[in-house]
Amino acid sequence: MSSLVSRPDTAEFRKRPRWLALVVILGFLTIVVRLFYLQVIQADENQALARENIIRRVTLATTRGVIRDAYGRVLAASRPSYNVYCVPSKLDMKQVWPRLANDLNLPADEREKTEKRIKDLQNGPRKDWQILVKEDISRDAVAVLETHIAELPGIDVVPFPVRYYPNKDLVGQALGFMAEIDGDTLMRLRTLGYVEGDRRGVAGIERGWESYLRGTRGWQKVVVDARGRRHPDEESQKLIDDPKRRDPVPGRDLRLSLDLDLQKALAKSMRGHLGGAGVVVEVRSGRILAMYSKPSYDPNELSGGNGVEAVRAAFRRLQQDPLMPLLDKTMSGAYPPGSTFKPFSALAALGESLVDPNKRVNCRGFYQFGNRVFKCTHVHGPVDMHEAIVRSCNVYFYQLGEAIGMDRLAKIGLEFGFGQKTGLGTNPEAAGRMPTRAWYAQHYRQFRQGFTLNAAIGQGATTVTPLQLALAYAALANDGTLYEPQIVRAVETADGTVVQEFAPRVRRRVNVQLPDIVRVRRALWGVVNEEKGTVYHNHPPELDVAGKTGTAQVSHRAARNAADETSTWYFNRDHAWFVGYAPSRSPEIAVVVLIEHGGFGGVKAAPVVFDVIRAYERLKAERAGAAAPAASAPKGTR
Amino acid sequence: MALRDSFQARDRFDWPLFICAALIAVIGIVNLYSATSVATSAARSELYLNQVYWFVAGGILAVIVASVDYRHIERFGYILYAVGIVLLVLVFILGKDIRGSTRWINIGAFAFQPSEFMKLFLIVALAKYLHGDPKAEGRTLRDLLAPAGLTLLPVLLVLRQPDLGTALILSLIFVSIMGLTRIQWKTALLIGVSLLISVPLAWSYVLKDYQRARITSFLNPEEDIQGAGWHAHHARIAIGNGGLFGQGYMKGTQNQYLFLPDQHTDFPFPVFAEDWGFAGSLVLIGLYAFLVLWSVRVASQSRDRFGAVVAVGVGALVFWHAFFNLGMVVGILPVVGVTLPLFSYGGSSVITILIGMGLLMNVSLRRHSGTLLHAGELRLRGP
Repeated sequence: MSSLVSRPDTAEFRKRPRWLALVVILGFLTIVVRLFYLQVIQADENQALARENIIRRVTLATTRGVIRDAYGRVLAASRPSYNVYCVPSKLDMKQVWPRLANDLNLPADEREKTEKRIKDLQNGPRKDWQILVKEDISRDAVAVLETHIAELPGIDVVPFPVRYYPNKDLVGQALGFMAEIDGDTLMRLRTLGYVEGDRRGVAGIERGWESYLRGTRGWQKVVVDARGRRHPDEESQKLIDDPKRRDPVPGRDLRLSLDLDLQKALAKSMRGHLGGAGVVVEVRSGRILAMYSKPSYDPNELSGGNGVEAVRAAFRRLQQDPLMPLLDKTMSGAYPPGSTFKPFSALAALGESLVDPNKRVNCRGFYQFGNRVFKCTHVHGPVDMHEAIVRSCNVYFYQLGEAIGMDRLAKIGLEFGFGQKTGLGTNPEAAGRMPTRAWYAQHYRQFRQGFTLNAAIGQGATTVTPLQLALAYAALANDGTLYEPQIVRAVETADGTVVQEFAPRVRRRVNVQLPDIVRVRRALWGVVNEEKGTVYHNHPPELDVAGKTGTAQVSHRAARNAADETSTWYFNRDHAWFVGYAPSRSPEIAVVVLIEHGGFGGVKAAPVVFDVIRAYERLKAERAGAAAPAASAPKGTR
Repeated sequence: MALRDSFQARDRFDWPLFICAALIAVIGIVNLYSATSVATSAARSELYLNQVYWFVAGGILAVIVASVDYRHIERFGYILYAVGIVLLVLVFILGKDIRGSTRWINIGAFAFQPSEFMKLFLIVALAKYLHGDPKAEGRTLRDLLAPAGLTLLPVLLVLRQPDLGTALILSLIFVSIMGLTRIQWKTALLIGVSLLISVPLAWSYVLKDYQRARITSFLNPEEDIQGAGWHAHHARIAIGNGGLFGQGYMKGTQNQYLFLPDQHTDFPFPVFAEDWGFAGSLVLIGLYAFLVLWSVRVASQSRDRFGAVVAVGVGALVFWHAFFNLGMVVGILPVVGVTLPLFSYGGSSVITILIGMGLLMNVSLRRHSGTLLHAGELRLRGP
């Protein structure tokens, strides 16, 4: 530096280098301070961010549990389906698209529609968003696309589990169906681990047992680069921090009490009727062996395998059907019980000792009460209680109702479970109605004794569900134990181990004297087996059945126009009931059949019940024969 | 004459300068290997080999430049400057468009950026001007007009390309060189104030949208991580991911998994900082600081005004490149495309810096030779 000092021409530069050096040092110092901040002070945060950049959690799908009948036959399972997606911006419309359309076998109109949609999107702001091209493509198309996927940029084939019901509409309403979760529901259920696009059970067992069936999703950490490509190599795997993976837990399988063979027999014997419901329960456990609501639906159509459009069309069709197939009539529909309620009216009178069962009442075909005339089906002449039930005499029960009053009828009804939900918990249940004086006073301005007369024969405001009626008759048949209904017998793991088995649960012992029940049961035997019984002439002699017919009047509708006439005629017909149990001496099953607008119970409903009972006996014999050599085949047939 | 000078020079070879530059170059190539090891195409993963060739070519040019006594370079100062300007004009005629700006000229298989070489030509031209314009008093605005004009012409041409980074470096070379001179404080104040006023004007009228986006994204990179803020955001994470001692050579995940675009040109430092950590960064920055300070030392010891200005100019070239590149990758300066000297991939950049090193060596070799160019000036020998 000394050289500069002494030279005049460079004297101008004399003191400057120090300042320049200072600027340089300050400049680099700033950088170093900043580096210290980033690399030492903030190192942990930045290292975490760097790890986040390359490590992604991918979800591992779980499988929904399988639903099987009592003998291990599959009622609902999942099958893989494949959807094709594309990213419009990455799709080559000249080379790749025609090939894809060919591989998918798209029909001309659909092909044109999709092509237009993709082209529109390619010019729009959402060209990078993946869109669905086709749902549930065939196995062949999957194979072709998977082999050539490298030559089809922008195309993705995504596996997607679809619920599958091999028996189609046989067990429709009882099983229910699945639907994609909607926005509002998702908000509520996000904490339970549901995400967009998930499907959940929305009806039947699929709905009621959703938490058992769905299983828990797992996840796995993978290394990805900035372009989203995965790096499965060993070096990359070392970067993954613990825990590396959580295995998915498959959903639990359900073993139902339903017997598919009996269900088939029930459905088959209702073949001649438009609408109705049938329930078969085990008398000594409350287990449901068959439940069928007609018309039924095919859950496959509603569960989304064939695409959103197909599901919408199916829903529209089902919702417009006047026979209301979406309604589970076994438990969601409430109907006047008609004469099937008479045994309970009789029990109410017997329990309070208000009526002498041996005292005869003269039936002249009608009963004059005040200025109203209450009709009977026939002129029965003098009948006692036994004969009144056997021949279904209304006049006897009008007078019985008059003698005991509305609230005693309601009390016995509630005792047998009417007017309350049974708690099966699969489909939304109708509670039915057991009206009291107070109820009538509230709904009809004032209570009149005439209401009681109608209530005694199961008409008026009284309604029951077929399931309630089946359980109430089961209680009659088993000396007075009212069970909770049960349709799921056991929860199992995928390999068949039983996780939880459900024992029958008693709801209550009904507060009725056993001799009274025995007296009523004798009458119910008479309905079928005595010469004057309402179904004596229809009953198959080889069957040992007791039961009661019912013909329930429905509230009248008027025809709005001529075209409506046929349907009005149909919808004005009475409901036909028959409730029976068999064998009558030591009952095993109770069967309820309701034929909507069927007419006379003894003619329309009773034969169906007899068919079901016959099928039950046949199956029992077959199984006893088959089980004998195989000793104990615990799992049945799978 | 030149021959005798280079003989004289040999025993005064500037080893510290050579070793420092060589170390940076070697580290740079090693780092480039790491940076491009993840490249998808084979051509890209062999970039480091190209870089070696550039270094060889640049090294030969540097030796030539260092050998010729810089008096001869001074003699051709304005001619070189004129050549530079012509090349910049040619860019508009022959240039090819890359990512929205025209910076390159193709000669056969080679493409080069005249704007890089212009930096050297400007240094030489300014040195020649100041060499012939000694002042005993502080310089006034009037005295600055000519050198400012010399600078403004290439700056405007480069801005047309547009190449904000190079325009900035050219301006800062001018500022640094004028910082070596004595300027009246009033003039300095005037310049300072007018600069302050011109900043918002330049923002509105000179800068293009994408340039503004880059600058604003520096202020808040997280606002637009997928777009303009991507570079800055991920560079910062990469540097921080290095920690104190680094992830290890070729183990930096931000680089290995492609979160650092342009990792071989504008962003080689995050790769280095991620691999080697704060300790490694400190060594590298130390080398740059040494190199720049050494050039200041060479300037202060040079035998004449031309040498001093050239040494400061080359020092400024290295300093501002390093400062802006490091500043932008650590997130204290906006992202303007400025290379890291001897570290970034690129022929024009490498050769320019190496020729600059040659110039610096030239000045350093002859600081004690005592041969003065102009008769009548005081003859003095170094100690």
